[in-house]
Amino acid sequence: MGLFILLSLFALGVVIGMPVAFALGAAALTAFWWEGLPLLIGLQRIVSGVNVFSLLAIPFFIFAGELMFHGGIAMRLVRFAAAAVGWVRGGLGIVNVFSSMLFGGISGSAVADVSALGSILIPVMKEKGYDDDYAVNVTVTSSIAGIMIPPSHNMILYAVAAGGGISISSLFLAGVVPGVVMCVCLAVAAYVIAVKRGYPSETFPGWTALFLSFVYALPGLFTAVIIVGGVLSGVFTVTESGAFGTIYAALVTLIVYRSLTWENFLIAVTRAVKTTSMVMILVACAAAFAYMLSFYQVPNKVVKTMLGISENPIAVLLMINATLLILGMIMDMAALILICTPIFLPVATSLGMDPLQFGMILMMNLGLGLCTPPVGACLFVGCAIGEVPMEKAVRTIWPFYIAILVALALTTFIPAISLTLPRALAG
Amino acid sequence: MTTKSPRPGRASGLDRVLDALSFVCKLLSGTAIVVLTLIFGWLVWGRYVMNDTPTWVEQVALLLIMLITFLGAAVGVRENTHLGVSYFREIVPSRVRTWLMVVSHVFMAVFGAVLAWNGYKLAVLKWESSIPLIGVSEGWRAVPITACGILVLLFSLGHLVAIARGERQELDVSELVE
Amino acid sequence: EEWKGWNIHVEGYPNTVAMDKFGELLAEKTNGEITLQMFHGGVLGSQPDAIEQVRAGALAIGNFNLGPMGPTIPETNVVSLPFVFKDVDHMHRAMDGEAGQKISDGMAAKGLIALAWYDSGARSFYNSKKPINTPADVQGMKVRVMNNDLYSGMIQELGGNPSPMAFAEVYQSLKTGVVDGAENNWPSYESTGHFEVAGYYSLSEHLIIPECVCINADVYNALTPEQQTAVKEAAMESATLQRELWATRETESRDKVMATGVKFNEIADKTPFQEAMKPVYETYLAANPDIAPLVELIQSLQ
Ligand code: NA
Ligand code: NA
Repeated sequence: MGLFILLSLFALGVVIGMPVAFALGAAALTAFWWEGLPLLIGLQRIVSGVNVFSLLAIPFFIFAGELMFHGGIAMRLVRFAAAAVGWVRGGLGIVNVFSSMLFGGISGSAVADVSALGSILIPVMKEKGYDDDYAVNVTVTSSIAGIMIPPSHNMILYAVAAGGGISISSLFLAGVVPGVVMCVCLAVAAYVIAVKRGYPSETFPGWTALFLSFVYALPGLFTAVIIVGGVLSGVFTVTESGAFGTIYAALVTLIVYRSLTWENFLIAVTRAVKTTSMVMILVACAAAFAYMLSFYQVPNKVVKTMLGISENPIAVLLMINATLLILGMIMDMAALILICTPIFLPVATSLGMDPLQFGMILMMNLGLGLCTPPVGACLFVGCAIGEVPMEKAVRTIWPFYIAILVALALTTFIPAISLTLPRALAG
Repeated sequence: MTTKSPRPGRASGLDRVLDALSFVCKLLSGTAIVVLTLIFGWLVWGRYVMNDTPTWVEQVALLLIMLITFLGAAVGVRENTHLGVSYFREIVPSRVRTWLMVVSHVFMAVFGAVLAWNGYKLAVLKWESSIPLIGVSEGWRAVPITACGILVLLFSLGHLVAIARGERQELDVSELVE
Repeated sequence: EEWKGWNIHVEGYPNTVAMDKFGELLAEKTNGEITLQMFHGGVLGSQPDAIEQVRAGALAIGNFNLGPMGPTIPETNVVSLPFVFKDVDHMHRAMDGEAGQKISDGMAAKGLIALAWYDSGARSFYNSKKPINTPADVQGMKVRVMNNDLYSGMIQELGGNPSPMAFAEVYQSLKTGVVDGAENNWPSYESTGHFEVAGYYSLSEHLIIPECVCINADVYNALTPEQQTAVKEAAMESATLQRELWATRETESRDKVMATGVKFNEIADKTPFQEAMKPVYETYLAANPDIAPLVELIQSLQ
């Protein structure tokens, strides 16, 4: 009965449009009350949910991303990508994909990618004769690469939700190859459609211009080198890398590019706080919710049920994938990472799957959910920027879905894609 | 996905008070994120350059993140910027939609009150313990969530008053984009 | 009545086995009136959180290490004074006697009843640089410590650079030199894999921290005297089991890491280390004058 109250109240809260974080919190506290547990312990779970050291990297990633966008680094990265691959047919679509790789590599947030890159690229693409639905679709789906390619605050959420036993540097390493695989799949889809629809290509700007755009982008690109390199080489801890990267981004945009005004700085701070608190309140309330899930022993029960249906690993993995996809369609990523990890990770590990690989599968699945109706933050933002009705965008988005599903299938069934790098480089 | 209440031409006294509260929260949490970045810069400098790790940074940082999270979350309630699912609100008739919003704000107000009261009790329980390495009371950790509870209660009541006055709240996705 | 219990360790760990045994004995001795549902692996929160949960009555039972109890219950901090116990045997004599009783009284004042004491062995230094034989060897070394002023004070007084750090980050940090060393008991040194990246283990045994099986005071006081006896007995019997399992586990872990070529050394003379701790004791006793008799009591048992 308590479990029923917990789940149905949460569902009710979501349906009537309460913020997801508060729906989680309110459902959890009601279950606390129902079970006769002191409510102040419910509050303790909420507070302790954010009192986690690894989570400190998240505000830094977000802040660094905002400084890069409002300080002009993102724009220079896009120019470099355009000079490098803009001359291919439908090149701006491919530029879009690879800009997500470069920028998403830093902001670590898919929604930030869509709003940052989308507001630069979508208008340009429309102006050059690309259809608006294509521009939106390619922007939205390629933002998922930002989740896979380090740094990624969603990976930190996963590590935290898994109980802190997974090394964040290993997770970051594990994301590189699946992220690149996904980018390649998306680039192929973008190219094929561009050819079919007869989109234009830019002229090659020449080696000098390419080199110059690279030089201009380099100091900004170095932010990524600091954050990712710092973590992967182990010179810094994840949090230190994030902080150092943020300070570096502020200094570069202020001193080298001279494009960070006081107004832009304030905007970056305001937006960083807004996004950080949105993510962290979700983490906080999900911790109280997860406490009640453990209390009702839901993870054990799910493992038993799933393995009861089939012990064939492939069947179970397909079952998990399908469940995550459906959940991803109706709910947001961060909340689902926090809720689903403790439930499905034990199933995956009992099948002998490495938690790193499972993390990649989880990210891709939920990432795809960000691009699907009815609930998809990236799709909403993309459509808003591109001024395209969602129905129109969704009608032509399926080739990109297929590209992501191909990458997902490869990642699910070939462990080496996720595990080779971390095994070779981390402990 | 966000919703945003268009500011009416004449801001009422209540609105002005709530906006002022919301502004103070933004100021505090904005300062907190800048301070957070700077003290971590200091940590990196201390650990790698001076070989003398400032041991207080981690614990202070964890307190600052409480401030950012809970004050920022309260601002989000005022400005309707939290992640939520508005799909069902959009497909129902407008009269039902208003009721859904009323129920949602009432839930939020109750939740805020529960947070405030139990946050206070948690602070009391924690008060005698001290946070290692910085020597301040554990109870401070529960202060931001208590403040958040009070603010969520006030802001949700503010939304209810606005609905009662017939100030319609429209869905506005473009808010996220700015 | 079903009690809920907290334990941070995973399946198969001595404490986990012992807590499950406690539950079994509890049901047996109370003729099924009381059963215990254990939540292992820390799924209900960290230890400081679980202490609050037991104090507030969300959980009935917890298996707590006395180290992280210090901020809540000052008396328990006495076991976190470096070198306060000469060896594990000294710790047992102290905890099973008057000193243990005084610590229990401190817990009782905060709503916790200690039922029995478990072992968590002795913590020693390990690092990636060199064997530690004298305090001079610690000079300039970055050593990860748990969050407690006493531990960071200890490293400071030995001339090292105390670096508080989340447990999950320690492996990578040792590997890449963010920190040079850390300190822990044999089973943790082994199970965390730290021996792979910090191959010098020096038997300093600077901290010998006992653990307790604690029960919420209201829950305990509501029991009949017969039930209270049954609960106590069950806990004591589980402690006997835990101490045996712990000793076995310690030997196994030590043998396992030694077989991988870890360079191990005993410290011939610990006196210079103990003497270096004087300022730590002084600062602590100046801030907690009430604890001085307890420290003297423990030291008199040597
Ligand atoms: Na990323
Ligand atoms: Na979706």
